[in-house]
Amino acid sequence: MNFKILRDILIITGLKSMPDLKRQPLMLLLVGLISSLPLFFIVVLGGNIGLGLIGAMVSATSFIGMSAPIQEIAFDRYVKIREMIVAMPVHPLSYAIGVALAPLILSVPSLVFFGALALYVGGLSITSVFPAIAAIIFCWASVSSIGFLISTYLQKASPYTLNSMSNILGILLGFIPPVYYAEEVLGSFSWIAMIFPTSNATSLIRVYSGTLSLPFEIVAIRWTILVATMIASAIITASKARWREP
Amino acid sequence: MVEEAVKSADLVKTYRGKENVEALKGINISIKKGELFTLLGPNGAGKTTFLRIISTQLFPTSGRAHVLGYDVVTQPNEVRKRIAVVPQDVATYANFTPWEYSYYFTMLRGVSKPDAKTAAEGALKAVELWDLRDRTCATLSGGEKKRAIIAAALASNVDVFMLDEPTSGLDAVARRNVWAVLREMVEQGKTILLTTHIMEEAEMVSDRLAIVHKGNVVAEGTPEEIKRLAKDRFRVVIEGNLKSLGLSENNDNITKFGSKSIVYVKDENEAIELVGKSLKKGLKAETAPVTLEDVFVKLVGGEVD
Repeated sequence: MNFKILRDILIITGLKSMPDLKRQPLMLLLVGLISSLPLFFIVVLGGNIGLGLIGAMVSATSFIGMSAPIQEIAFDRYVKIREMIVAMPVHPLSYAIGVALAPLILSVPSLVFFGALALYVGGLSITSVFPAIAAIIFCWASVSSIGFLISTYLQKASPYTLNSMSNILGILLGFIPPVYYAEEVLGSFSWIAMIFPTSNATSLIRVYSGTLSLPFEIVAIRWTILVATMIASAIITASKARWREP
Repeated sequence: MVEEAVKSADLVKTYRGKENVEALKGINISIKKGELFTLLGPNGAGKTTFLRIISTQLFPTSGRAHVLGYDVVTQPNEVRKRIAVVPQDVATYANFTPWEYSYYFTMLRGVSKPDAKTAAEGALKAVELWDLRDRTCATLSGGEKKRAIIAAALASNVDVFMLDEPTSGLDAVARRNVWAVLREMVEQGKTILLTTHIMEEAEMVSDRLAIVHKGNVVAEGTPEEIKRLAKDRFRVVIEGNLKSLGLSENNDNITKFGSKSIVYVKDENEAIELVGKSLKKGLKAETAPVTLEDVFVKLVGGEVD
């Protein structure tokens, strides 16, 4: 990866995030609120708040990770920014990563807030911070790759359809699998947690926090699945996505 | 040394689908460096397809095209370094300011921050948006938004600009502002490829133009050369009943719009004679040389020999 590609990633990230951050700071609050909504029920119903906070961290990242590429690319097509950038000396990788990274900036304050709270109540331990960051980054990358994959296959769909779809998928990935609740609840179906990057990341964070006990091989398999999901989606997207139209 | 800024040879584009659509049927165009060349044609003529191929956004089905000597298919990165594009129906991000458009897009060309700032400032001053540079696009008028996008292209300081119907939807004043900017760019030695379906625009700003119809170039030259293609060089607009002049409304040289008719005649003498005759009969009449629009209508209708 040369310097121009890296520089362009940062420029596109700035281009796609700074104007919104400056003029729509409420978006930061919105991301946090959506992710913290289940916490209300967890607190009221007497659930595990530590687990809920980990879920909120994962959800804040995955929700934005799924919606970012779909919404942004659909919108970029609508306002023709994508056309302008295709005709510029910009590598497609810079555009894709920049578009995915930009909304992540929006979820950073929520992540820090939920993370600090989780450390305080015991959901996270000091030693689990780095594995947690790694799991969240891989989760974000996997979910973003899935988002790119979807947008690649639905190039003819309207921005409105893609917008709705990204929100639905974001909610499904964030709230249906065991993200806010323990995978043990699923009993013999707890393996389902491995399938979804969101619940997989949550369980891995719990392993390092000491609230979930899994054999080393299973932990290794779960990391592999998390990374493999990202790589597979990225490869399919790269092979199917067309920077220049045929 | 390459003399042409843009050159296409037998450029064909067929959109595959349930029914194949031949958008370009072998376009040969040569645009010299430092000229403003316009592709003029009705909607669906193939103008945008041509521009998108030349600007490396779309692959051609066959044929060759070069920008400043670089092949658009095999050397897209070389082409992209040297062009800036303003797409058709381009919209703006509501949260962006004109400054952000120009600054970020210039940075993406590998320019340093100080140089990008200087270029953005120059471009925004050129399109007279400097005073509005920090207002969000949501608060700008249609013309100001268009100029913000043109400034983003202009700030790139490349050699070739490709603008797809940049004045569509603008009022007359805003349109003329854009024309002034385009001509200023040409004065600075830039090459501009413009597409439009507005005849007045093509006539006013173009050094040369090509009329594109159903994927073919049906005429190419300066606006004056194109106008000379018409066998009838003058038009007489008459208000009232033509029968009193002994003219049949079914004549190929007459176009009728309600009570007004345009009568095309061979030369100025014939035009003056017809005006005189009309005035004597109490009809309103005035004459002028044929316009580009007159020729265009005849060309795309297949009436020019």
